Amino acid sequence: MNSKLSYVWPPILVATLFLGAWQLLVVIQEIKPFLLPAPSLIASEFSNGATLMWGAAVYTGTTAFLGLLFGTVAGLFMALLAQRFITVDKLVTPLAAGLATVPIIALTPILNNMFNITSRTPRVLVTTIIVLFPIFVNVMRGLLQVNPVQLELMRSLNAAPRTTLRVLRIPNAIPFFFTGLKIAAPLAVIAALVAEYFGGPQEGLGSRIASAAANTAYGRAWAYVLAAIITGLIFYLTIIAIERLVTPRSAPALAKS
Amino acid sequence: MTMIHDKVQNTGSALAISGVSKVFNKGNDNEVVALSDVNLDVHTGEFISLIGPSGCGKSTLLRVIGDLTGFDSGTVQVSGKTPEDARKERLYGIAFQQAALFDWRSVSKNIELPLELAGWDKSARETRSAELLDMVQLSDFGTHRPWELSGGMQQRVAIARSLAVDPPLLLMDEPFGALDEMTRERMQNELLRIRLETGKTIVFVTHSIPEAVYLSDRVVVMSPRPGRITAEISVNLGDRTEITRESDNFFHSVTAVREALRLHDTSGSGVSSHRGEI
Repeated sequence: MNSKLSYVWPPILVATLFLGAWQLLVVIQEIKPFLLPAPSLIASEFSNGATLMWGAAVYTGTTAFLGLLFGTVAGLFMALLAQRFITVDKLVTPLAAGLATVPIIALTPILNNMFNITSRTPRVLVTTIIVLFPIFVNVMRGLLQVNPVQLELMRSLNAAPRTTLRVLRIPNAIPFFFTGLKIAAPLAVIAALVAEYFGGPQEGLGSRIASAAANTAYGRAWAYVLAAIITGLIFYLTIIAIERLVTPRSAPALAKS
Repeated sequence: MTMIHDKVQNTGSALAISGVSKVFNKGNDNEVVALSDVNLDVHTGEFISLIGPSGCGKSTLLRVIGDLTGFDSGTVQVSGKTPEDARKERLYGIAFQQAALFDWRSVSKNIELPLELAGWDKSARETRSAELLDMVQLSDFGTHRPWELSGGMQQRVAIARSLAVDPPLLLMDEPFGALDEMTRERMQNELLRIRLETGKTIVFVTHSIPEAVYLSDRVVVMSPRPGRITAEISVNLGDRTEITRESDNFFHSVTAVREALRLHDTSGSGVSSHRGEI
């Protein structure tokens, strides 16, 4: 109980101090809202527009969820396929670095032209591609970074590669998979949101932020940013909750002894 | 112990190694002769230890027997079969210095792994793992996860796993090397008891002289560059008891092994074996 409290208190304290200082700075310096709106203004915009916020968050959240789902499935599939050919873990790191430099979000206008811009499809597609890479790279690592002694054991037991995959590599990759998911989930929300900046339906958080800023409604724009942060957090925390359910408790992270 | 020993002397060859050589990085600058003309015969039910300094090829020899690595010349027969056939027919169990248990499996499920791969059905697996847990005195820990166990207990699970399909031969690569001295001695007694109960042939790699002497019927001394067998010392301690380690007989055997090791120690200092590499 005590230790749990000690985890909760510091971030709350820091956040309170930060928001207080922000509010104080805006009020004392009389900073104009288009430069920096006060937290109080953002909060009132947030509660006044709660229904709109909710609708926008559901729209963008749905895009993010679909992208996360398809990207995860595709990433898992690709990793399982690739581990048959890439057997050395060293190859994964340059591959990951190479993939990280692809400006995926910049593909959105192209995808908007390729698919129906009035549909959700191009946005889901961009999110899918963004999600795919961290899942692929992390699962690959998990499939390849197997204790060599355990591999020798499997050989001594005359296990076929397929059996070793099922019995050793895939279970070994599960913590890595969740590491990938924890990176991918907030990324999916960001991708779904930014993809809305390139035209198409105006229902989502990204579109609302852009139009509020264009209308000099800065408090409202920031309120939507807050809604986006909360959406991302919900995605992240959901993944953590699933991870807790799936992986046994108090398993040491590096119990490879 | 003596009884088993006498009985098995006559029941044939568990392991026949003749003229085996193995070279790593053949043809390269860093070519290493890991094994050179190794000859070794092990009777069914015999306990032998391979001992020698690092790089003498003792672990390599164990891996050759288990078909975990190949060899360049000579013949190896495990229960009259090639190492590959012996491995495929699961004629040996193996335990390493690392327990190498699967964290995502319970202790019981770890022991059942070889049975799963051998196609045993569920109820037969459970009966067998309960039996083995009993043998290694961990009956209360079947549902625990490996990381909840101490190092010695984990190693006992690994030994139970190596015995799962009841193979005639047990290969052990410094299985107690990472344990503290007290645990180590207790594990040695456990292993001797298991050996008595099961009558397995055991090939045990170690670099502890007292461990080799205490456990074995025969200590095989190896030396590096090239890796080869330089001496074989029979140990006749009879039934091991609490005072075995303090007996004159034990000291004589330890001394004999130590001298055999020193005889072929090329460094001259009696400790290091890295002369000529600087």
